[in-house]
This record gives sequence, C-alpha cells and structure tokens, in this order.
Amino acid sequence: MTTSTGDRTTEAVQRELMGFLSEHTRTTWAPDTDLFAQGGVSSLFAMQLLVHIESTYGISITGDDLNLDNFRTVQRMTALVERLRGEGSDG
Amino acid sequence: MADVRADLQALVTDLIAGHAGEWDRRGEIPVEVIRKAGAAGVLCAQVGTAHGGPGLSSVDNGELTAYTGGLCSSFRSLMTSQGMAAWTISRLGDAGQQREWLSRLTGGELAAVAFSEPNAGSDLSAMDTLIELDGDRVTVTGAKRWVTGAAYADVVLVFGRYGAGAAAILVPTTAPGVTVTRVPDPLGCRAAGHADVRLDAVRLPAASLLRGAGQPLSLLVTTALTYGRISVAWGCAGIMRACLAASAAHATTRQQFGVALADHQLIARHLAEQYVAEQSATRLCAHASAAWDANSPELVTAAVVAKHRAAGDATRVAASAVQVLASAGAQDGHVVARAHRDAKLMEVIEGTNEICQLLLAEHVLATTGGAR
Repeated sequence: MTTSTGDRTTEAVQRELMGFLSEHTRTTWAPDTDLFAQGGVSSLFAMQLLVHIESTYGISITGDDLNLDNFRTVQRMTALVERLRGEGSDG
Repeated sequence: MADVRADLQALVTDLIAGHAGEWDRRGEIPVEVIRKAGAAGVLCAQVGTAHGGPGLSSVDNGELTAYTGGLCSSFRSLMTSQGMAAWTISRLGDAGQQREWLSRLTGGELAAVAFSEPNAGSDLSAMDTLIELDGDRVTVTGAKRWVTGAAYADVVLVFGRYGAGAAAILVPTTAPGVTVTRVPDPLGCRAAGHADVRLDAVRLPAASLLRGAGQPLSLLVTTALTYGRISVAWGCAGIMRACLAASAAHATTRQQFGVALADHQLIARHLAEQYVAEQSATRLCAHASAAWDANSPELVTAAVVAKHRAAGDATRVAASAVQVLASAGAQDGHVVARAHRDAKLMEVIEGTNEICQLLLAEHVLATTGGAR
C-alpha cells in the first residue's frame, strides 16, 4: 500500500465514522473531539459503535483492543481500524 | 444449522420434559442433567465449532432458548448464564483464554455470572468487589448477591472494580476463600441455583483475569448483558407459549355453564390476548437476534426492547393463564403457576423494567430528541 492510498483510506474511514456518529447522536463530531468527555454518548451507544466498526470494516475487536481509549475520538477509531485491518485479524 | 438445533432440542426434551414441576418443588435440578446438556453445548449454543460448541446463530439459539423456557425457566436461566459467560469470554478474553474456557464451557463445566452486590443492584457503578493485580497473581475480594446458577457452577465470572475501571475474572468455586450460599426459597426460577457468593481475598493466577481489563464498567457490563437480554427475551417467549398451550387445552376440555370454557367470550379474549403477546414478543426477539447475526449496531437497543417487552408480556400472559386455569393451575409445580412466579422475576433480572425504560429513553433522546 502506498502512502497516498493509505491517506485516502484514512480519510474515507474518518468520513464514514463521522457520518455514523452524526446520524446516531444528532451532533457533528470533529475527528479529535473526545466522545465520552462530552457526556453525549451512552453505554448502549458505545457498544453500538463497537459493533458498527466491526461489521463495517470486517474486523473483530476483542481482549486488549476493547479499550475505551481506542474509541475516544474518530482519529483513534480510525487508527484502530487501520491497525486491525493491517493485521488481518480474524479474532 | 437447523439440524443441529433439532438435535439439541431433542436432547432438551429428553432431559427436561416432565421433570420441571418436580424440580420447581424441590428447588433443584439434578446436576448431572445440567452437565449432560452442557457437554452437548446446549447451555451456550452460540459457541463455535472451533471451540467445541454447536455454533448456532442467535436466531437458532433463540428458538432453542424459547423451547427450553417453555419447559422449564430454571433450566433456561442456566442457559442464559452460561451463554453470557461464554460470550463475555469471547469478547473480553484473549485467544488463549477463549481456547481454554470455551472448550471447558462446552465440555460439561458450568458457569455463572456475578454482577449484583448488597449495595449494587440496578446501580452497578456502586460495585465494591475489588480485583487487584499483584505480580503474577490476582486477588478478588467482595460479596455478590443472587448469582443465577452459582449453586451448580464450577466457575463464576465475577465483575469488579479494577484500577480506575473494571474487569471480569474467572473464579473457580473450589478456590480457597470462595463461599457459595444458596438463596433460600426464591420467588421464581426456584431450581436455577441462585446463590450469594462471598470472595475473601481469593488468590488466582493472573491468567484468570480476562484481557479486556481496566475498561469502564458500563462497557463491560453492556457487553455481557446484551447477550443476557436477548436470551431472557426468548425465554419469556417460551413462557408465553407454554401458558397459551395450557390455557387453550384447559379451555377446550373444561365445561362450565353447559359449554366449554372456550365458548365463553371472556375466556376466548384471554386466549386471543395471550396469542398477540406471544407473537409480538417472538417478532421482537427474532429482530434482535437477526441484528445480532448480522452484527448490526441496532442489536444493542433491539435487545433491550425485546427483553423489556417480552418480560412484561410474559408476566401478564402468565397471570392470564392462571386466571383461565383457576384452581386447576393454582399449585406450585404446575406449568402456569411456575410461569406466574418465573415471569415476574424476568421483570427484574438483566435490567429491571425501570432500568430498561431509562436506557431506552436515553436512546430516544440521543437519536431523535432535540438539543438539550
């Protein structure tokens, strides 16, 4: 994967995640806004988000990766997606 | 898949049918019966074949759960607990923990899951149980209440505080410092082995701690409870099916005022309303399970909706069935008497009616409400 393709992918993941967030919370989120610090996200939604990321990107998030810090911002979720896709994780 | 389910259902029939009334009166299921079901994978039927499980979908496991719940809610409660333990291990455990524990839970070992405490029921954030890492050992101290299945369990999956967050740890009931005390005479699911579990500085290898440790309690608990809620919801659909069958059979055979009960319109109305409740709960359960199988984010709220509706409906349907059967069903051990007591507990367990309502209201406000 070249760097430019990687950047485009990163941008696409970020855009998609921001779309999912605004659709489900009726709020627009910047890539670096802390979802949980704002108190705008419930425990049910945190799990919905987890399941959404798994099903959209074909990854499995378990064990150590099931860390709220990985879901704190759109940027961190994007990094998690790219790392797990890179590992070809099958959980 | 359907064949696997049919085989498991046949085993459930073989093990349970005709015994539930006696188990209810005695407050106990013979443990060898539970182990036999466990070894066949009935108790956590969604565990994949790679780990020795039957690998049922949530939809198929749901139908198996409803079928079992129609025969015996105590037994079905054990399925809910073991399934929740297995699901939590597959979520929070690493590959090694999954390999070891999932094969044990499909090999005849029995598990319970401990959330509630004397001061932490609906408010699980008040949990006091402490899990502390000390080199290559972990120490667990606390008291858990009303743990379904704990009286039979080989291992209890205990949730507790861990650092700034929470963790789940597998505690063998034979470990020094573990005391399991049966809850005497529970209102419902009397043979489900409810027990209090005391943990006095129980020392375990660090590998007992599921890897997803240190996370917020709400995230860990929501993970476990989502499975539990779908399971309870299907179990309630089963309670309603059993009540409907008993009500219809009685209404056609019992004669009063010179005609069958079913020919009295006030009795016919009971049958119609029981049917509507069972059908709508089944559809909500099927929807939640389909969302689970599709890994759709909707599954989380769909599970709460199904559980809340099915538990309330099962409670009303069971009361209606007792009304239809009257003295014929008003005796401990009878299918509708059990349903009446068991269903009421389902309005309490895995999130009370009120907690479900709060969760759903929060969801509505977050997704469709105005800015606040």
